[in-house]
Amino acid sequence: MRWGVVLPVVGGALLAAGAGMLVCALVAAGYGDGGGLAFALPGSATAALGAAGLLLGRRLPSSPLRPRDGYFAVTAAWAASAAAGAIPLLAAATFAAPVDAFFESMSGFTGCGATLLDDVEAEPHAVLLWRSLMHWIGGVGIVLLVVAVAPATGLASQRLFFAESSSPTTERLTPRIADTAKIIWGVYLTLTVASCLALFAAGMRPFDAVNHAFAGIATGGFSTRTASIGAFDSLPIELVTIVVMALGGINMAFYWRAVHGDSLRPQLAEVRAYVLLLAGGTAVVAASVLIADDVSGLGTALREAAFSVVSMMTTTAFITGDFDAYNDFARLVIVSLTFIGACAGSTAGGMKVVRFLLLSRTAVQEVQRQLQPSAVQVLRLPGRVFAEDVRRTVLGFFFVYVSVWALGMLVMAAVGLDAVTAGSASAAALNLSGAGLEAVGATENFGAVPPAGRAALSLLMLIGRLEVFTVVALLTPAFWRRRWA
Amino acid sequence: MRALQPALDALVVTGNGASPRVLKDAGAKEADLLLAVTEIDEVNLLAAAAGHRLGVQRTLARVRDAEWFGGDQGFARDILGVDAVIDPEHATADDLAETLLLPGAVHVEHFAEGAITVAEIVIREHSPLAGVVVRERPEPVPYSIVGILRGGAVLVPTAGERVQPGDRVFAVASQEQIAQVVAFLDGAPEEVRDVVVLGGGRVGGHLAKRLAGRCDVRVLERDAERARLLAERVPQALILHEGDLSKEMLLAHGVDRAGAFVACAGDDRTNLLATLHAKQLGARLCLAVVTREQYVPLVDALGVDGAFSLRLTTAEAILRFVRVDTVRAMHLTISGAEVLDLNADPGSAIVGARAEPAGRLSGCEVGAILRDGRVLIPAAGERIQAGDRVLLFRRRGTAARVEHAFDA
Repeated sequence: MRWGVVLPVVGGALLAAGAGMLVCALVAAGYGDGGGLAFALPGSATAALGAAGLLLGRRLPSSPLRPRDGYFAVTAAWAASAAAGAIPLLAAATFAAPVDAFFESMSGFTGCGATLLDDVEAEPHAVLLWRSLMHWIGGVGIVLLVVAVAPATGLASQRLFFAESSSPTTERLTPRIADTAKIIWGVYLTLTVASCLALFAAGMRPFDAVNHAFAGIATGGFSTRTASIGAFDSLPIELVTIVVMALGGINMAFYWRAVHGDSLRPQLAEVRAYVLLLAGGTAVVAASVLIADDVSGLGTALREAAFSVVSMMTTTAFITGDFDAYNDFARLVIVSLTFIGACAGSTAGGMKVVRFLLLSRTAVQEVQRQLQPSAVQVLRLPGRVFAEDVRRTVLGFFFVYVSVWALGMLVMAAVGLDAVTAGSASAAALNLSGAGLEAVGATENFGAVPPAGRAALSLLMLIGRLEVFTVVALLTPAFWRRRWA
Repeated sequence: MRALQPALDALVVTGNGASPRVLKDAGAKEADLLLAVTEIDEVNLLAAAAGHRLGVQRTLARVRDAEWFGGDQGFARDILGVDAVIDPEHATADDLAETLLLPGAVHVEHFAEGAITVAEIVIREHSPLAGVVVRERPEPVPYSIVGILRGGAVLVPTAGERVQPGDRVFAVASQEQIAQVVAFLDGAPEEVRDVVVLGGGRVGGHLAKRLAGRCDVRVLERDAERARLLAERVPQALILHEGDLSKEMLLAHGVDRAGAFVACAGDDRTNLLATLHAKQLGARLCLAVVTREQYVPLVDALGVDGAFSLRLTTAEAILRFVRVDTVRAMHLTISGAEVLDLNADPGSAIVGARAEPAGRLSGCEVGAILRDGRVLIPAAGERIQAGDRVLLFRRRGTAARVEHAFDA
């Protein structure tokens, strides 16, 4: 491994996590409801370790980054952040078992939003803020933050950028990838501030507004209330939250292009399909609960369906009503939408709308090819032509993704969960939606999953966040074989 | 060079045509005209630019990719020093498209800024013109017959000439009425709904782009990379990657039921063979692009409905550029006919002459006159006025001095 390039990345991520903990320590001091020391000490230690890694790494000879170094560095940075983020949760006595704290922390950084907490309101402000802050730091990518802020490492930055988000539409907005990373973080920061103000205007207390802005725009799902957004019982708050989540599900580069006056065409097809899927999903779910379930009136059905569909398809999992109490058709529609997820380059999980579009195109073309074998087929979306290796990558991605989900489901069943819970828990972790069906349903937490299962779900979250190949490559023997170096 | 010299009454110089030194040695300083028409865009542009700097009066460059000057003629002229840009492949594709979109015609050319159209039509037994004397032809709308192609020879018809089945006639009418005229003369015109194009090169590519959306286009291309490129650029057309030409392959892609077949694969022999196959299989309208003069006699023998020559298209563009004063446009057919679009200058010898094949216009047929923005099919006794745009038809090599009569 080329430590000269791995260490600065891991160090940078730890530095970011440590800084976040120190912010929480300050908040704890302000509210005086505990957790101050629990955040101050690990925070300082993590930040110091991170800074050391950063400095040490820069003394080592920096060689060009190979793909494997990029994969390793990114995975290590995420794992290290999650491990560091678990420490204050243990120290503040939120969790007793390390695996639980790690689960919560991983769920935070990856933007999954699956929680093990029974009573959220009982936690001190610092812990609540830390959960939201983990979402936010992980949102558009912790390594992206390192690339944006740390002095340019040239080619290395590029490899890291693409190792963290392997989507088929990832593209540079500027000649230097570090500038692109800065732009993406700038857009993200702007959206966060705007969301925070909007939530405050809709009637949230400032502390809640900040937390839900972090968790909403990062499409995470941790709330400051056990009953999530439902606790506020306010239509304005629900509407603003829907918009915040939907905005978090759009490619950050898309906003930049819109503001900058660049052509939107390369991403327009995906955004259009995303909005149509949100609207279509809402209509279908609303209709089905009106027909099959005991819901009072069209307005309520639309309100509940819109929130559930947007929340789940953007893989946020804020909750207002219990969608797990709907009829089976509506429940399956909602879970299916989490597999599609939102746009590539957003903060959301799932397979991403653009991959879904490309897979659909490929399926149609494959049928046509049976009839017309010599026809030259071009993989295209309106305004954009994709090279043939994108088709191959997307097909491979789909197979690996589904395989990982199925394996996760088997592991969940093996540790004792029923079939529906096992399948939906695996999906909730891999798609980063953070809510499933039955025992891990909308109003439940993940307490029903035994410890071994919690560890497995943590791994699934990491795999899902880094879009499968990065982590799965690390798990293959070939990765570690020297002669492949 | 050794091959060229005896065939040309011109001085042949060997060297890099884009080199300022070679150009200077060749006498660029005193030259009126520089034509850069090699196969390579960059060389042509460089040569034209160099010639312009050296003092050549006017320059012309053959440029296939308009991206070189961003499609902006002003940029080409002012910055690059290229007075005229020609793209024969593109022009040929346009001609092919015009022909396919005019049911009944096998060749179409526009003149006088598009106001007047000349169409070549094959006369079959059921045509209302078959067996009819030219002077007594039925005329649902005004049109003129300026030439007949019979047995490979062009003739300017005398008034008593009888049109025979198998003849090809050149009909002239205003652009608005040409479709009606062609449909009438053909007798049973059928709109082309699906086209099979052999060859996805420059001509085939432009053609597919022109036709896409208007009719069903299938392009057969041998080269995988080129096929892919074309499929990316023209999403509405079906691009098929196919190996060698064979009857079976053509049959598999429905050439037998195709409304039209166009061979533009870049090789004359392939094109002619493919057209022969297509005709035998039953494709209705078969068009072919040929480059070499030596294959031209085969065109008729093989049953090709219309042949398009890149070389003649290039020549037309160059001639139009060279004789810019009175000759506004010209069209050369493979069969050896010429159509000229001339401006009757005030004070020129032609003003006042009768618009008929006698006197100053002997050997020529006047197809139409554009006068005050209106297209006029000349009746007997019509005289040419100053400022008229006159469309003339003649056999190549005859009435060579007629242009001078239009010059003031």
